[in-house]
Amino acid sequence: MVQSLNSNVCEERVFSNIFQTLSKDVHNFLRYKYGDNLNPKDKVQEAFIKLWDNCKNVSPEKAKSFLFTTANNMMLNEVKHQKVVLKHQQVKPKHYTNETPEFIMEESEYMKKYQRALGNLTEAQREAFLMNRIEGKKHKEIAEELGISRKGVEKRIYGALEKLRKEIDGI
Amino acid sequence: MKKELLIQKWLDGEINDAELSAFKALPEYASYAKLSEKAKLFEDTSYDVDFEYGKLNAIISERRQKTATPVKTLNWFKPLMRVAAILLVGLAIYYAPLYGDTTTVKTLASNQTTIQLPDNSNVKLNASSSLQYKKGDWENNREVNLVGEAYFDVAKGSQFDVNTWLGKVSVLGTQFNVKQRVNYFEVTCYEGLVSLKYKGKEIKLPAGKSFKVIGNEIIEDETKDSLPSWSNKNMSSFKSVPYSEVIQEFERQYNIKVETNNVDMTQLFTGSFALNDQELALKAITIPLELKYNKENKTKIVLTKE
Repeated sequence: MVQSLNSNVCEERVFSNIFQTLSKDVHNFLRYKYGDNLNPKDKVQEAFIKLWDNCKNVSPEKAKSFLFTTANNMMLNEVKHQKVVLKHQQVKPKHYTNETPEFIMEESEYMKKYQRALGNLTEAQREAFLMNRIEGKKHKEIAEELGISRKGVEKRIYGALEKLRKEIDGI
Repeated sequence: MKKELLIQKWLDGEINDAELSAFKALPEYASYAKLSEKAKLFEDTSYDVDFEYGKLNAIISERRQKTATPVKTLNWFKPLMRVAAILLVGLAIYYAPLYGDTTTVKTLASNQTTIQLPDNSNVKLNASSSLQYKKGDWENNREVNLVGEAYFDVAKGSQFDVNTWLGKVSVLGTQFNVKQRVNYFEVTCYEGLVSLKYKGKEIKLPAGKSFKVIGNEIIEDETKDSLPSWSNKNMSSFKSVPYSEVIQEFERQYNIKVETNNVDMTQLFTGSFALNDQELALKAITIPLELKYNKENKTKIVLTKE
């Protein structure tokens, strides 16, 4: 057999390719689930170092599930009852219109409520909802990535949306 | 129940016009729309894949050095090793014609090269790409491994496989181009027929058709050209390709670093740039998008949205 360029994770180009393709997904997955307080970027690094250490035993096809599982386990070790907080960008004042200070304040109040409400969702809801709303992923893609049914994804996202609305609008 | 279905379709981007106006008529619509719009603000735009990779690389190369500590050898061991080495060399020479070494051809940035495979097929390798095959054992191992982009002009009646990280291409006397990037895979057939394996599915690609994967999206397209433009017109061409791919191709072709400022890298770009005139190429990729460019030094260009 040809010593394949593509079948060995120890090969730098393959490893780099895997990093380029998957690292952001792993990062987003950790962020959505556990928030920003537990340093998702560092966990991504640690997971990839683990992959490198085990590069002889993990085939490229298995790398994805290896990374997600490893990164998830690393988080679980730390997670113990932490409140999930996701940072958000500041609402930028628009250039084409003048906004009153009241309006700007209302917006920032809204974002604060939003942040709290996101923290109160279940991990599963938050993860599916943000993959859909931030990354624009289709329900089908999310289902494949999370290994659940499409119905399940729809339920999670819809549930998340309703819960957020109730909490933010105070109904 | 009806409302739930409407909202699910809307979230999935599958809603039609009639359904959309029904949804917009709901009193809660404004509230949903705002929730959806503001969700995007929770994106972490600070995640820079290249930066993170640089960081990781530093840690890993440090580890590699640590593991490569010298091992003490015993005195009686040395002569024995010599004998073993001579035997090994003898065996290697004996078996070399049978198990030829793997031949690897690599191109640097802003270089192209042409290779002839043992079956007289020609391969043109684009910049920053590499190709691997077994020269001596071609009859039993009719496969090449490709990282990057290459154009294959296959000798009549010859058959082999092209393996890439993203998919496998099987050929039978034909002409085709394979382009494999980080988040991008493209196969274009110019003559004959190629068969393609992508994620377990087999796809037959006739002449004039191309198969593209951008991220997770599959796009089938057509081409009227008889050769890829980089191989005969000295141009790199793109058709509805994310701008980030165009920039990366530019970096490979001109061996230069391009930084962007406030530029939407996901927007699609259709067009081409010259491979032999950097100034002209820069204009070709910046003017249509109303971008300004600034050559900071010989190795770095910065693009800014006006």
